[in-house]
Amino acid sequence: MQPEAASTVVITALALGLAAMAAPTRQTKTAILVRGSVGLAGLIAIVIVPTLDLVALIVLALGAAQAGLPGGRTFASRLRAPVFAVGSIALGLIFLRVQGPETLSRFGAVLIVTGLTAAVGLVPFLHTFDPEEPITLSPVAWMAFIGPVLAVVVMSRAKGILVGEGAAMGAILIGLGLVNVVWGSLAAWRSEDGMAAWRYSFMGDWGLALCGLGLVVADGQAAALLVLFSIVLGRLPLYVASRPAVREKSTTDRPINLIVAALLAGSAPFAGFAARLFLLRGATQLFWPLALVLAIAMVLWLPGSLRLGRSLGLPRGWQAVAVGIVVVLNTVIGLYPRPLLFLAGL
Amino acid sequence: MVAAAAGAAFLAWLGASIIVLSDGRRGLALGLAVASAGLAIVAWQSSGPFAAIAVLAGGGAAAFWQDRSGGGAWNVMPAGSTPRTLLCVVAGLLALWVAASVITAPGASQRFAVLVVLALAGGSVLSSDNIWGVRAAAAILALAVADAASLGGSSLWTFAAATIVAIGVSLLPMPKTNAA
Repeated sequence: MQPEAASTVVITALALGLAAMAAPTRQTKTAILVRGSVGLAGLIAIVIVPTLDLVALIVLALGAAQAGLPGGRTFASRLRAPVFAVGSIALGLIFLRVQGPETLSRFGAVLIVTGLTAAVGLVPFLHTFDPEEPITLSPVAWMAFIGPVLAVVVMSRAKGILVGEGAAMGAILIGLGLVNVVWGSLAAWRSEDGMAAWRYSFMGDWGLALCGLGLVVADGQAAALLVLFSIVLGRLPLYVASRPAVREKSTTDRPINLIVAALLAGSAPFAGFAARLFLLRGATQLFWPLALVLAIAMVLWLPGSLRLGRSLGLPRGWQAVAVGIVVVLNTVIGLYPRPLLFLAGL
Repeated sequence: MVAAAAGAAFLAWLGASIIVLSDGRRGLALGLAVASAGLAIVAWQSSGPFAAIAVLAGGGAAAFWQDRSGGGAWNVMPAGSTPRTLLCVVAGLLALWVAASVITAPGASQRFAVLVVLALAGGSVLSSDNIWGVRAAAAILALAVADAASLGGSSLWTFAAATIVAIGVSLLPMPKTNAA
């Protein structure tokens, strides 16, 4: 079992508890805990199984299980992305394993990245989104809960198969990452629907994670892992807590809203800031104009994050406790990321 | 051996095409049965009899439950299915080109069978809103993933997992709010 995958699963389990705590009603808490536990079992299986083929089959099983639950979107529309992802990964693995021209192996690497982005639901493979759908049935579950572990496992396993196609995979990851950074951060700011804005903000963070995964230096990998941790431990519980206020379209301007906005924007001293520093350092080592582009793109987070922070409302009771824990954990990870990265084998 | 491999490739293409072209329970069940027979022969040649039995069990069970559920009887090639027919032909030709010409290693028939099922199952899910068709495509995709893994020398666990997923997908209760 890879240490980075194991630590991501542990973080995800912790986030599941926080998300349940932040849920507004008892019914939602139960749904998150029960369905989330099934998802967590799937994630543990993804980490344990020895091959990417088995990982693909577990993704298909998770997608089918989610599509089988009653919800707003059709069965077909919910199963589309997981099936496309599994097909892409399987085709990519065939192309990487067989003898053929070099282009075929590169195409295989591209297909694996395509499969990963389709499973997570990033541009250009956006899942259909219903703002009223419960979070356990929503594409956000793939972005914020299943996606981070899946990305860590797929990337670490794929590196074992890739012989000379690391550069091709890195290039496509960085390209897709930049597209998602710009698309996600702008849409989180400009989108009319509050729920959709949260969903796009996940996409923006994923863009940074893809850029980090694409950088073949240690700082890039550290940045990707920290961004994924901040998605799971920060954005996910805050999204769950904010859903009632977003539905009511109410905004609040209390200090906690500003703190949450800073956390979502990746400001100091939160985890997102450390991730951004690692990312810029890694990009500078590899190709400094990329660091310049990323630094400019990071500014786009501010307006969207202010909007999302205000949409949190004023958390009370267990929600306030959950938001407090999220802020503390993200501050600790932001100030001292090294112990966590050490546990993750970086 | 060569004739069996060619037959398996043809069965896989035919079965996957029937899944793409059918909207009725019997048509989909027939497609699942035929495609899984083709994939089982490929599994036998690459991983032995137990792998073939696993694929046949998964495909057979999925076909059985498909026949017990869903609407219509056969409904193969209903009106307006020209794009789906084209998909079957183009996917077959593309898979044949990649399996036999682009990839230089031996075993073109097995590769064709796997590639064409992956492509057609994926195409079916992407292009159809028929809940039963999507379920059948997901089941055969799981079996094709195991066959694809066997081309790289996978263990029997992959086939066992694929069988469980194929049966599980077929047994899924259909969500009440969107069963149409």
